[in-house]
Amino acid sequence: MSKVELHHIWKIFGPNPQYVMESLEKSASRADVLSQTGHVLAVRDVSLAVGEGEIFVVMGLSGSGKSTLVRCLSRLIEPTAGKVLINGEDVTAMDEAALRELRRHKVSMVFQRFGLFPHRRVVDNVAYGLEVQGVETAVRLAKAEQVLQLVGLNGWEHHFPHELSGGMQQRVGLARALAVDPEIMLCDEPFSALDPLIRRDMQNELLHLQQTLHKTIIFITHDFLEALKLGDRIAIMKDGEIVQLGTPEEIVARPVNDYVREFTRDVPRAKVLTAAAVMNPADGATAEQSVTAETTLEALIPRVLSYDGLLAVLDEAGTVIGSLDRRTVLLALAEG
Amino acid sequence: MGQLAQRIDGLGQRRGGKRPFFPLILLIVGIIGLLLLAQAVAQTDNFAETWNLGLRDVLNEFKRWVVVNRNDHWLFVFFFEPLSAVIDFGLRRVEDLLLWLPWPVVIAGTFWLGERIGGLRLGLLTAVCLIPMGLFGLWAESMQTLSLMVTAVLFALALGIPVGIWTARSPRAEKLLRPVLDAMQTMPAFVYLIPVLLFFGVARVPSIIATIIYALPPIIRLTNLGIRTVPADALEAAEAFGATERQLLRGVQLPLAMPTIMVGVNQTIMMALSIVVIAALIGAGGLGDVVLKSLRRLQVGSALEAGLAIVFMAVLLDRLSAALTHLERNSQPRFKGFRFFSEKQRHLTWVRRIEEVIETIYQACGRYASWVNAQVGRVVKDGRMGQWVRRYPNGVALLLTLLLVSILMRLLGLGDFPRVLRVDIRGVVDGLVQWMQVNLYDIGGSGIGTGPLRDFLIISVFQPLQHFLAEQLPWTVVAFVFAFLGYQAGGWRLALSVLGLTLLIGLLGMWPFAMDTLAQTLVAVLICVAIGIPLGIWSAHNDRVEQFVRPILDFLQTIPIFVYLVPVIMLFGTGSVAGLIASVLYSAVPVIRLTNAGIRSVDETLRESATAFGSTQRQMLTKLEIPLAFPSIMLGINQTIMMVLAMVIIAGLVGATGLGLEVYQGFANDNMGRSVEAGLAIVLLAIMIDRITQKLAEKTAVSANITL
Repeated sequence: MSKVELHHIWKIFGPNPQYVMESLEKSASRADVLSQTGHVLAVRDVSLAVGEGEIFVVMGLSGSGKSTLVRCLSRLIEPTAGKVLINGEDVTAMDEAALRELRRHKVSMVFQRFGLFPHRRVVDNVAYGLEVQGVETAVRLAKAEQVLQLVGLNGWEHHFPHELSGGMQQRVGLARALAVDPEIMLCDEPFSALDPLIRRDMQNELLHLQQTLHKTIIFITHDFLEALKLGDRIAIMKDGEIVQLGTPEEIVARPVNDYVREFTRDVPRAKVLTAAAVMNPADGATAEQSVTAETTLEALIPRVLSYDGLLAVLDEAGTVIGSLDRRTVLLALAEG
Repeated sequence: MGQLAQRIDGLGQRRGGKRPFFPLILLIVGIIGLLLLAQAVAQTDNFAETWNLGLRDVLNEFKRWVVVNRNDHWLFVFFFEPLSAVIDFGLRRVEDLLLWLPWPVVIAGTFWLGERIGGLRLGLLTAVCLIPMGLFGLWAESMQTLSLMVTAVLFALALGIPVGIWTARSPRAEKLLRPVLDAMQTMPAFVYLIPVLLFFGVARVPSIIATIIYALPPIIRLTNLGIRTVPADALEAAEAFGATERQLLRGVQLPLAMPTIMVGVNQTIMMALSIVVIAALIGAGGLGDVVLKSLRRLQVGSALEAGLAIVFMAVLLDRLSAALTHLERNSQPRFKGFRFFSEKQRHLTWVRRIEEVIETIYQACGRYASWVNAQVGRVVKDGRMGQWVRRYPNGVALLLTLLLVSILMRLLGLGDFPRVLRVDIRGVVDGLVQWMQVNLYDIGGSGIGTGPLRDFLIISVFQPLQHFLAEQLPWTVVAFVFAFLGYQAGGWRLALSVLGLTLLIGLLGMWPFAMDTLAQTLVAVLICVAIGIPLGIWSAHNDRVEQFVRPILDFLQTIPIFVYLVPVIMLFGTGSVAGLIASVLYSAVPVIRLTNAGIRSVDETLRESATAFGSTQRQMLTKLEIPLAFPSIMLGINQTIMMVLAMVIIAGLVGATGLGLEVYQGFANDNMGRSVEAGLAIVLLAIMIDRITQKLAEKTAVSANITL
């Protein structure tokens, strides 16, 4: 069972979304819907499933509907149609109280503009989620201190958010989301407002935290490289639809259309692509040497330079799943 | 009227044609036509008596009914009386407390409050403001006014903040309330006295009720605004963490709206103060009563003392509540360096020495507070009380000390402001007034002086103008001109409503008085504009002038409307001229401010490009700055007119003729109906002129592509 499942989610903004939903030609384009009905088709028929402990990245340019989609998950925005399941429970059917419980205990969120409360000190910001749960003051402050330590902000507890730098503010945002021990974290472009260097630090920090915390993270970004770096899987959205969904290697190696290919242009392919992504299917031909499936092209290059023949690609169990040679590698590098 | 409407309607259709002068031609033709018509039917010169609605008799009848039924009708027994009782209870408790507290304790308490909110300087300022009230021998009256204020403001906040929250959350409630609040802010203060007077009679409680109602709009508005402008991301974050509505309100919306709400509190306090004095008319007592009685007896000296006491109270309350609006959120303590002087004066030895002394005193106080707390801690250990003591150590120590001192001073009979400390300025002032009346009336028989000026204004300006408007011009022409202005500003709908309002003034039987008031208003506004626009331009161009003018304007706006009369009648005696000058002093502020602001907001790059094309200073002003600042200036004129109209009733108190005097004499002669009619006429005039000028400001703003 997946942790989070979305089934045919639609979101239409406008005065009468239900009516538009019912009368909609399923093939109508976004521009048509806008010009004919005055409604904005933000999310169109999105279905996906996120596994436990996975970092699932939703990548798209602004206006692609990615932020709307993630808000439909905890119903900060009410989806017009479709179903959201979390732990198999139907979120879309929940009443106010159940939904509140979900938001308090299971799903927490990190925001692009941080969304910190300017009138509360850092520690009270971090403790906010626990406070609304009704946790005792001493307990929640202790927890907040502990989480602040985790994100490297000890010593800043009693400052106000505006006294901190952008990167530090987002650490507070991260700490606030972690403090409630959520099962699922929704990150809405959390690092987009940060400087490139700080952004890289924060990405590493997130990956580092994830190694110990194993949260289910749904991460929104408009930065393809960020998506590649963080995502176990990536969904690319355009005009409210998912264009392609797959692992980073799959997307870089086999973009479904020109739109996606355009993103993969600037990708350092050698660092992203693995043997498994570029190999030819195993055809029974014998190979004398082998590589593991996760070997990146960067590591493969010296191997194929020094060896002319066919290399077998092995999975974790040691079974042959495919093969490659110098030509395969060169072609993969040249594409895009 | 139907014919006129048709004509105006036709005008609307033809507008935008090729003849820009058409409206002007129509105006002239219309006036001549109406004049000829009036000549033919001589009675229409003045508004026909037979058309009078007779509202006066109905109202007087109603008042008699109220008097008769006050003790047994359910409306009074179950609604007005209980309401009255609650307010009376609150007022009495506050008043008992403030009058019981010995004066040094009140001063110390105020100092502490000021120090907590805004530091040592504010503490000292507020404490110093209280002292003259005692020196003038007006301590008890001041405390009375203060208790009226405190009670009224507390009730207003208790009512206004929830309503503000409600309007912030319900678009429907806002839609419902907004026009009501708009209308309330157009009304002059005294209007609120009239209905209250009808139901409750003359006493202190009705004056508080009027004050509460009058002071409500700003707190409702600004609570609403504050909550609505809470950043959306903070709200979303709170929602995402599963905050309930209540948690959202208390934990996020209210705290973030607090600075704005505090602006509302400040405005509410200032409005309450401005009406508390007028409310003396219906028996509020306190300082207002002293001013009123002294003015009636022409005792300028004691009126000035009470007026000054009101000014000091205004400054005190204004600064205290204004300081609440910019409490900062910082993790560092507020005072890093000097408490009284500025850090820049560090190099002066004596400054450093004084600061050292201050620091020593603070430390001593701190030690004293912790000693008191140690003693308290022995008695109160646990529970809620104990928590409070730990949380506010200084506050608890101070309250205990003040309580002890109070009891001690009362026992020793030292609580009242000592008579020895009386400073008598009324004798000096009365002497000065006499001297001025003798010597400035007509300086050296030269024909220059207050007397000739007054005579000139009355004989050559007011009377001819009033005569012209009320008697020479038929009312139809006046109404037509108003309708025409309305059409120019806001189209035929505004023209029609203006026409209706003008007609109503006539129907109330207030036409001649309204024309009298209109004449004075016109003169006052013209003087305000003639002084205000050049002064505004000058201060926009010269920072030093602005620095000099700004505090004066701030001060003029802090003073309650009433107080302006006192120095003016020192010079001019009672009558319309005193009213005029008080009006000008009170009302010139917005036009100066907004002219200045309008010109200062002209984009620097535009100035640069105008200079690059070789504009002279004069061209810059006439071709660039004034056109761009025009909407802002219009808004200033609008506010100025509204303030002049608000002053009408006050001017009536010192004998300025017109609607104000009618209202006042209605009060004095127990002729409710007459007061109401005249009051209504002022309101109608105000609404009419407000709509026209506001639309004009909007229109000029739109055509200049400026947002006001």
